[in-house]
Amino acid sequence: MKTHKLFENNSHTWLMFGRDKDKPNEIIDTNQYIVITKNNALLMDPGGIELFSAMLSAVIKQLPADKITHLFASHQDPDIISSLGLWDQALPSAILHSPWIWEGFIRHFGMENITYAPIADEGGSLKLDSATLEYIPAHYLHSSGNFNVYDAEAKILMSGDIGAALESVDAPLFVEDFDEHIGKMKMFHQRWMPSNKAKNDWVQRVRKLNIEMMCPQHGRIFKGDDVQRFLDWFEALEVGIIET
Amino acid sequence: MAELPNNYFVSAAEIAAKLDLATCIAQQLSLTASNARAVALRAGESAAGFRPLTDFIDRLAEITISSSKTINLLAAGLSQISADRVRSDVVIKHFNAVFEIGKDSIFIGSLGSVFQRSKEKQLKLNNSYKRQIDELSDELTILSNELRNAVILATLSRVEASQAGIQYQEALINVANNVEGAASKIKTNIHYSQQIVSTLKEYLH
Repeated sequence: MKTHKLFENNSHTWLMFGRDKDKPNEIIDTNQYIVITKNNALLMDPGGIELFSAMLSAVIKQLPADKITHLFASHQDPDIISSLGLWDQALPSAILHSPWIWEGFIRHFGMENITYAPIADEGGSLKLDSATLEYIPAHYLHSSGNFNVYDAEAKILMSGDIGAALESVDAPLFVEDFDEHIGKMKMFHQRWMPSNKAKNDWVQRVRKLNIEMMCPQHGRIFKGDDVQRFLDWFEALEVGIIET
Repeated sequence: MAELPNNYFVSAAEIAAKLDLATCIAQQLSLTASNARAVALRAGESAAGFRPLTDFIDRLAEITISSSKTINLLAAGLSQISADRVRSDVVIKHFNAVFEIGKDSIFIGSLGSVFQRSKEKQLKLNNSYKRQIDELSDELTILSNELRNAVILATLSRVEASQAGIQYQEALINVANNVEGAASKIKTNIHYSQQIVSTLKEYLH
């Protein structure tokens, strides 16, 4: 599994983990992100059971396991958080931040030790030493209870399934040709995102944020002008349809 | 300890299902005892010897129902422990993979305490599993021994039925057959459960 540093300043670091060449072929490739501060770390969308060993092995190359004090699950899907039962044994004192509506469902993955911190529909924030991370509501994109994580200082938006593309494990980390990339995103967004209303509401709110990097859970990261290009494309896209 | 087959936790659930069947059959046996008592009363003096036998049929049904419920609870507990063991084993397997993949990682030592904790949990579950298997095995033996009386009870019922008036003989012989049939069906389920327990025990040695 590859590890890539996205941002670093005096207070915190953003790392991306992904492109796991050893994962079973039938499993969708996922990007995991971590924010590391002085004494804490937040691991976002830690992934499925099949990725746990590779993921934990990649993480402990960067920081001691017990420094991961917080986990974030944008929503309830298995590729996001089905590894919870294993993290629960590896990080018994950690706190899991996730939409309130999914608590009763996510606990089915096994949670004896970790504490569930429900995120209210309107979002919220998490202070991690001197870094502040905001939970941006992204409901129905695609899950009915869903959040992005925004870091105003790093100008990074971890956008979950928004901006996701279905690609091979050797795909580049960043979008290089936006127009060419559309073909890899279109079906995913039209099929998995059910609501034009929710989508346009999200676009309007996210346009007000200062974003240098938009980091989805699958596929490539959008940088600089490609973030605006994505927002324009997404706003114009009709979703909630099956294109034949 | 030999390695357990992957589906061993299903076996415990199978025992619970078999004993659930045994409980249903024993409930029918209890009905048979009530019917027998009514027929014996109607038959009057000629079936006087049959009446005390109905109490024994009742007792056999009660013991079977009560013992089946206990075994069912033990099997359900064993099924839960087995599933927890599988989960615990999966955790250990993943940790072992991390120790292999990440053996050169600078922070590999940070997993020491949680790995130890997981190993202790695994050991605790193994011990609970052994205890539960033993209790289940003992309870199955007790019930199996009780059911031996059913054959004697059926034979005595037939003897007493032959003494009753001709119009009641068929009904009372039917009772004897029901007792024998029910006991035989329950025994089959018990025997099947004992075989499963015996297989599960083999993996403990």
